[in-house]
Amino acid sequence: MKEETCSHTWEMVNVQSGYIVTENCFRCNKTATSFSAGEWPPMEEYREGEHFWNIMEVAQTIRFDLTCKACGKLVPLNELAGLMMCTGCDPKCPVDTLMKEMEKSRIWVFVAFGFFPVDERTQLSQEKIAILEEYFNQRRKSSSSTIRIVSSEKIDDISRCFAEMIRDVGMLSLTPPATE
Amino acid sequence: MKLKEIIEKLSLVTLTNVEDKEVSGVFISDMLSDVMSSAETGNIWLTVQTHKNVVSAANLIDIAAVIVTNGKEVPEGTVELANRFHVNILSSPLSSFQLASKLVEAGLK
Amino acid sequence: MQEDRNHSIEIAKIKEALQADIITGNSQTGQYVTGIYASDLMSDVLAYGKSGSILITGLNSVQAAISAYMAEFKGIVFIRSKIPDQDIRKFAEEKGLFILTTDTDMYETCVKIASIEGEVSVSTAAAALTKRAENVTTYSFSIDGQDFASAGMVSTQIKTILKSIGYNPLIIRRVAISTYEAEMNVVMHAKRAKVTLKASDQEIYIIIADEGKGIADIELAMQEGYSTATEEQRAMGFGAGMGLPNIRRNSDKMNIESKVNEGTTIETMFFVK
Ligand SMILES: [Zn+2]
Ligand SMILES: [Zn+2]
Repeated sequence: MKEETCSHTWEMVNVQSGYIVTENCFRCNKTATSFSAGEWPPMEEYREGEHFWNIMEVAQTIRFDLTCKACGKLVPLNELAGLMMCTGCDPKCPVDTLMKEMEKSRIWVFVAFGFFPVDERTQLSQEKIAILEEYFNQRRKSSSSTIRIVSSEKIDDISRCFAEMIRDVGMLSLTPPATE
Repeated sequence: MKLKEIIEKLSLVTLTNVEDKEVSGVFISDMLSDVMSSAETGNIWLTVQTHKNVVSAANLIDIAAVIVTNGKEVPEGTVELANRFHVNILSSPLSSFQLASKLVEAGLK
Repeated sequence: MQEDRNHSIEIAKIKEALQADIITGNSQTGQYVTGIYASDLMSDVLAYGKSGSILITGLNSVQAAISAYMAEFKGIVFIRSKIPDQDIRKFAEEKGLFILTTDTDMYETCVKIASIEGEVSVSTAAAALTKRAENVTTYSFSIDGQDFASAGMVSTQIKTILKSIGYNPLIIRRVAISTYEAEMNVVMHAKRAKVTLKASDQEIYIIIADEGKGIADIELAMQEGYSTATEEQRAMGFGAGMGLPNIRRNSDKMNIESKVNEGTTIETMFFVK
């Protein structure tokens, strides 16, 4: 089938488990996130240009690409750091407003994050976000609800957002987590 | 098979309001990234995880119900969020392994 | 948590029920496990796991082996074709843990183990689970013709993936060499290609399907030293031969199909054992 005329049936491919590493630079206080495949990532601090990165958190995650079963189009999602469901922590946030609006029609809003710092890493294009949304809606087609995925750019003030990306924290820890 | 039928058959405890859904099968994992990559819409998801993010992962795929095993206590915040997004959370005193036998006997693949 | 009754299951029976591969602890298959615990959360394994048990987990990390050892488990079943890496094997060997790997997921693994002691009848387990798909990890890549700057990228990516899954370095080396040869052929002779990698605990399967001028005489192309590289390409150090013999030498099975002016598809297979 020709890519141009194909209506695309997406499939998750190139699934790799690894770690999402969150670092902080003590010079400029910026936050950086990155994906590290396979092995536990190195814990030592290092310098990258102006920055001195220090590891703040390591969580398990996966990376993946999407491909169309019909035409073979491959959509690499190297820029996707993770997905987060809006939990409505900031009533002034446009995502929260959108969420409340959409909820009535059983549409749940998720936020797609690229890697930090936003101004120094290539961010996920609108086209790729739309494909990601299409993929999940195709996968949950037997459902009575749908999802909407928006870019993290839409979040008004990230410091007021307490929702978490879908990732696995503390899986390797041998001490049980404190309950809330 | 309908969720309410399974709840009755296995005497599962309901922690949220229950919205009846068609159940397509069973998925066991304690990792949200596994759910994101491999769970199917309509699956019952057995896990020992109880944090809020369980609701996000369940919602992304539209899981029929989350069954928290080992009788683990589920924080109030998780239950609240689940109710808002119509995510069914159930509880069982059995371990994931023990419950798996009961679910397969009930006819779930 | 409700106490589980006591189990007594021979390790060999578990291996058989799951059609699992034994990674470490070959000499322990005659021993018995007295409990089963399925979880990915290691703090829970320590808190609730009973000594003498077997751990079923998808957590492919040395932490899984450490937790199993600390909770005095006898061994681990890694699910969904997760092949433990060197660190895990080494630790398990040192501490006398047995390790099995299976391609089934956690639910199916639990159900099959439960059917050994008749907790679930074998026929119920089989009937309920027949529809479940076999677990193979699939990866896709694309290669652009004439893109010499990125030549070798796909074979490098494949190598990294296979390493992170934990295959034996020898098989990874064979896959890398033959994929590199095929990738160079695409860069030199074709417009573009799609590469598919399917990795399971049984075999590694690679398909490289290109759009291009195709090969008129496959037999000739399979001969050592045969090349259609241009002078320019040879000057860059590419194309001493078409590399097909090298692909055949390094793979366990190879199939090549080609249509002139349409393209060539090369399939290679590598057996894990
Ligand atoms: Zn398509
Ligand atoms: Zn800095």
